[in-house]
Amino acid sequence: MLTQMTEKILVKDVMIGLDKVPVVFPDTFLKKVLEDMGCYRLGIACVVDSSKKLLGIITDGDIRRKLISVQKPFSAFFVDDAIDHAIKNPATSRPIDTLSEAVQMMKQLQVWDLPVVDDHGVLIGLLHLHPAVEALLKAIRSEPK
Amino acid sequence: MVNKIIEVGYGKVNKVSIGARLPLAFIGGPCAIESRDHAFMMADQIKKICDRLRVPWIYKSCYDKDCRSAPDSYHGLGADDGLRILADLRDEFGIPVVSDFSDPAWAVATGEVCDFVQVPAYLCRQTSILKAAAKTGRPVHLKKGQFMSPWNMKNSVRKLEAAGCHQILLADRGTFFGYNMLVNDFTSFPIMAKTGYPVCFDATHSIQMPTSMGNISGGQREYIPYLVRAAAACGINALFMEVHNDPKNAMSDANTVLDIKYLETILGQAKASHEFRLEMLEKYGEDNAHTND
Repeated sequence: MLTQMTEKILVKDVMIGLDKVPVVFPDTFLKKVLEDMGCYRLGIACVVDSSKKLLGIITDGDIRRKLISVQKPFSAFFVDDAIDHAIKNPATSRPIDTLSEAVQMMKQLQVWDLPVVDDHGVLIGLLHLHPAVEALLKAIRSEPK
Repeated sequence: MVNKIIEVGYGKVNKVSIGARLPLAFIGGPCAIESRDHAFMMADQIKKICDRLRVPWIYKSCYDKDCRSAPDSYHGLGADDGLRILADLRDEFGIPVVSDFSDPAWAVATGEVCDFVQVPAYLCRQTSILKAAAKTGRPVHLKKGQFMSPWNMKNSVRKLEAAGCHQILLADRGTFFGYNMLVNDFTSFPIMAKTGYPVCFDATHSIQMPTSMGNISGGQREYIPYLVRAAAACGINALFMEVHNDPKNAMSDANTVLDIKYLETILGQAKASHEFRLEMLEKYGEDNAHTND
């Protein structure tokens, strides 16, 4: 249910800042990536280069599928480079996209998170479904009856 | 993954490049330096074989064997005499030389003479040894410990890299299979090669039966040719074998060193297997079955 109020909310208003998102480098050990994802209570980690350009993402679902398809010992899995298990060129959102557009995209892609990048592909935040829904509900409730 | 090439040799010796799609390099010599005359005699004989086969070669012999099983086993000539012999030998034959070192305090002297410094397998995860090896500025031959998984060698590689070394050769010398027994898991080659560094097969230590004879190690030398051909087919970039003119009387690793009378045959087969593999890569492309599943 899109309303005037919800259409005014932009991705940048709701996105999580990088200090609360697992951000790792291509050669970060996978074990560290998993620990960070647990620590931040998010099912996604963003892989960036030294200038924070987004290279890929690793999600709970990817790891779940890998555990079945890559049948090697955990000890070997844990020392893999993050980039080896990352989804390259993931779907992203821009800070000036409307939240409703971004949530529509999340629905189409069946994902819970969208990395937010600037015009140069540099990671600046993460759109997570819970705060997005919360913001939309708040806007709907505040609409004049 | 970037396939790195390492170059072994400084000064006026014949430099040996080791890496993907390059000729198979040979690292070989008597386990320990026994005497000046013996070291020179062995170098002369091995050089003739390597010249005939046109195999790039690095002379290997150690000046101090610190991991012998018994207190009265031959320990070596020591750093002063041993390194002087290696220095003279590289001048005389124009070949790069490698020795291992078992104490961080020996690293500088080793690196001043040797073109290549070797970290013993038992010490492959010792940070102080790895830092000292890196600080020599020479390429490092890092052997996988018999107790280590091939993927965990990445930790040792990162220790070397953190200390400034980016010229590394990773070797497999067998993996403990219970007590006093080693086996070779050749998946270690593609796994260790994922670090981007070239890989080596240490054939003569792979057939070792560590301390199986109570206070010395035994070995099953008869299996060397089989393992060498298999390793070459797996994609090694270098082959390591200790050789001796009189194995029964070798002062170190008498039960595992290869009699030099077999060297030309085995090295020739290794070279041929390696070249055949390169031809297959040209014809069929890189090994990528199920690597991206």
